[in-house]
Amino acid sequence: MVGGFSEAHVRRVMWRAGFGASAHEATRWAHEGRGATLRWLLSPNGHKAPLLPGPKPMALDPANEYGHDVLWWMDRMVRTTRPLEEKMTLFWHNHFATRDVDTPLLLRQNAVFRAGALGSFPALLSNVMEDPATGSFLNLIGSYKDEPNENFARELMELFTLGEGDGYTESDVREAARALTGYVEGEKAGGVLLSTRFEPKNHDPGVKRIFGHKGRFGPHDVLRLVVANHHHPELLVRKLWSFFVDEPLDTSTRLRLQHVYTGSGHHLKPVVAEILDHPKLYANLDGPTMVKAPVVAIAGMLRATRLGVKVDDWTWVTSGMGQELFSPPSVAGWEWGPAWMSSNGMRMRFVAANVALNQPGLKVKDGDTPLDLKPQQQLDRAMAALGHPWASARTREGLLALTKGYDAMAGQKWQRQVAADMTQRAMRHLLLSAPDAQVH
Amino acid sequence: MPRLRAYSACQDFHHASEAARRDVLTRRQMLKWGIGAGVTVYAANMLSTGSLLDAAAAEAAAAPDAPILVSVFLPGGLDLLDTLMPLEQEGTLRDLRAGVSPASPLALGGTSLGLHPALGRGVGGGLKGLYDRGQIGFLPGIDYANPNLSHFASRAFWETGMVSQQSVSGWLGRWLDRHGSDDNPLQGLSAGYGLSPTLHTAGAPVASISDPGDAELSMWSVWGDWGAAAVKAYASLSQSAPHAAGPASAARAARLAYSVSEQLAPFRRKDDTSPDPLAGTVAYPEDNETADRLKVLAGLIAQPLGIRVATVDADGSFDTHEGQAATLDKDLGAVGEALSAFQADLEARGVADRVLTFVWSEFGRRPEANKSGGTDHGAGGVAWVQGARALGGILNDYPSLTDLDREKNLKVSVDFRRIYSSLLAQWMGTDPAEVIPGAAQFGQVPLVRA
Repeated sequence: MVGGFSEAHVRRVMWRAGFGASAHEATRWAHEGRGATLRWLLSPNGHKAPLLPGPKPMALDPANEYGHDVLWWMDRMVRTTRPLEEKMTLFWHNHFATRDVDTPLLLRQNAVFRAGALGSFPALLSNVMEDPATGSFLNLIGSYKDEPNENFARELMELFTLGEGDGYTESDVREAARALTGYVEGEKAGGVLLSTRFEPKNHDPGVKRIFGHKGRFGPHDVLRLVVANHHHPELLVRKLWSFFVDEPLDTSTRLRLQHVYTGSGHHLKPVVAEILDHPKLYANLDGPTMVKAPVVAIAGMLRATRLGVKVDDWTWVTSGMGQELFSPPSVAGWEWGPAWMSSNGMRMRFVAANVALNQPGLKVKDGDTPLDLKPQQQLDRAMAALGHPWASARTREGLLALTKGYDAMAGQKWQRQVAADMTQRAMRHLLLSAPDAQVH
Repeated sequence: MPRLRAYSACQDFHHASEAARRDVLTRRQMLKWGIGAGVTVYAANMLSTGSLLDAAAAEAAAAPDAPILVSVFLPGGLDLLDTLMPLEQEGTLRDLRAGVSPASPLALGGTSLGLHPALGRGVGGGLKGLYDRGQIGFLPGIDYANPNLSHFASRAFWETGMVSQQSVSGWLGRWLDRHGSDDNPLQGLSAGYGLSPTLHTAGAPVASISDPGDAELSMWSVWGDWGAAAVKAYASLSQSAPHAAGPASAARAARLAYSVSEQLAPFRRKDDTSPDPLAGTVAYPEDNETADRLKVLAGLIAQPLGIRVATVDADGSFDTHEGQAATLDKDLGAVGEALSAFQADLEARGVADRVLTFVWSEFGRRPEANKSGGTDHGAGGVAWVQGARALGGILNDYPSLTDLDREKNLKVSVDFRRIYSSLLAQWMGTDPAEVIPGAAQFGQVPLVRA
């Protein structure tokens, strides 16, 4: 431990900024310290292949096979050597939520999010505006000077940059919609749209009035105006904070983060760096409080257990838990936090443990468990198999108590082996499915 | 994950069809793990394990004839003008909407209005048949003053019963907080995958159920008595009350998942070939997600579970920015078929007198069509009450096509809070002011047959 940075700190920041830490990572980064850990997260070396060599996933065809888009992305989350970049890609997928367009378009949009994950917000916003998935979903493509479609303009202000009703009026939405006219379909390959194109003759060249400014504004002027609107930094800072931290954002911290954001020329990395370094991210280290989002819970489990993405069940499991990647419920994205914890979502987390424990590597076959292990040895064995997940003292006591009950049930000699295997199976399941497993 | 679909308009509230997802799963997987949503229970207070059905039975026994209000939401902003067509103004309408409005509306006797032809499909002549039998009362032009044309904002107003940006409980959730029980989550049910914000409460427990059969918690690799003990250990690990919201929500969800798994066992099919304990006699349309949800709801309503309010989000999207004619024919038709089967089922189960259904959408659409054969967000939508004791007919004035507002939208003819107040007073028998702030200013309109 260097400078008050323990393995618990490493596990916390690796979960929040990524998908958890292995035992090896926890030791290594606690030794190297806070500064080195955050530098590694924020500025990973320029690996050409940012994926760990193993565990290799099943054969995937993300563009064509049902559900493989989800599996493909989850595999990246499991094997990435740049966890923060992947986590921020998930942030942008939620922020610029898009659904109901062809999968190849969504995969291309995903690459846009990843490339701009921690860069300049205006640059990312511009790429998103010209992205064919966004343009299709929010009717920017085909919005024509005589009949401007307000869909993109409205969500741009309401969800992407300002917040509902903050700093804009209905008139601003209509005028921005005029300024945003002119996009049409660009290149296509095999019936799939590859790009959008700005067609000047479809654009309304007239004078518009947006946020009190007058001019012959075009699409990029609209983006410039919304980013310059003084309501914008607060929206973005609040959203980033609550993605990483579940403690309230106090005013002085918020103002400082807004200052960092605008002072950097609207770059994301300095703001995220401040958040990851903030003491509130490390609150309650002995009892985590933030609910794991479904894909984060599953990717983290597959990473810690070294199972990898070997079965296609993870598509419907994560969907049943309430988060179907590439299909957010609406352009507003998912509702995060305790809202994930419906009892139905919880039941699917129980099912997720069933699916995991049915796979080679975690499955306990009859006779696998040595006889005469003490309860604590059983628990240590289960913890090691799962990559040492967090479990409260109360949960560990409950698991030890279960062992005693099983021992009492195993009257005859042949049942001692059954009891040993059942103990191991039940412990592993409960370590993955009980309430403690759902928070980080 | 739809593939190779036409670029769609803003599908803000389009929910992925569960049916589509099921199609691609193997039979084996479905049997093995019980895919699909089971029961979601939300409660602010702790429920002791095992008390659920006791509470439900006690409640039902105490008030066996208590009225039940069902709220059905059609997401996206259903168009009034093509759903309930103003035949007197048909020329004007067709000028505004060449090729969009349906060619042969079903004229409603004694009125100058016609229903969308797709609403003649289904059991007993569909919704047209129900109207003819006096069991539907339409509310054309329903909305609120200065409507907000954001799906999210407007939907939230309808769900909370307040035109306000405050984050508050749902209007039926508030009713439960005032008149419901502290220990029966089944009193407020969302039939389907998630809990409707209409049922968000401050304290009263509520639930969402897609299929009681999917609610069972079972550890796949730990069987027999070993499994039962392990699942009990799970329940015991959930008997904690952490202070922080996250862990508290996890413990509560686990507790209720276990409780519901145990207590809904009587309504669970034993296996794939055994009969469905909730089965009725009315055939619902196939491949119709709305019908699936309503079918489960009708089955549960007929049990002594103490259900008082329920919500269903219809499948399909009514956000018809493009291709309105085809979308309404398909999706509105599917909703009409589902609702008419639901009504027939309630009658067959002998509970129709206890159930009133209110169907609504978050706003209406602009009279003038856009260039994509669709219509954009507008004011003045359509809603209706249906049921054996609903007051049939056209319950308020129809908006004019020639007297539009400044935005070229229909003028609102009735405030939705007037309808909520009427439902609370006339159907639930309680003071609307408890739930709708300033209820008196909205007044009431007769909705229920005396």
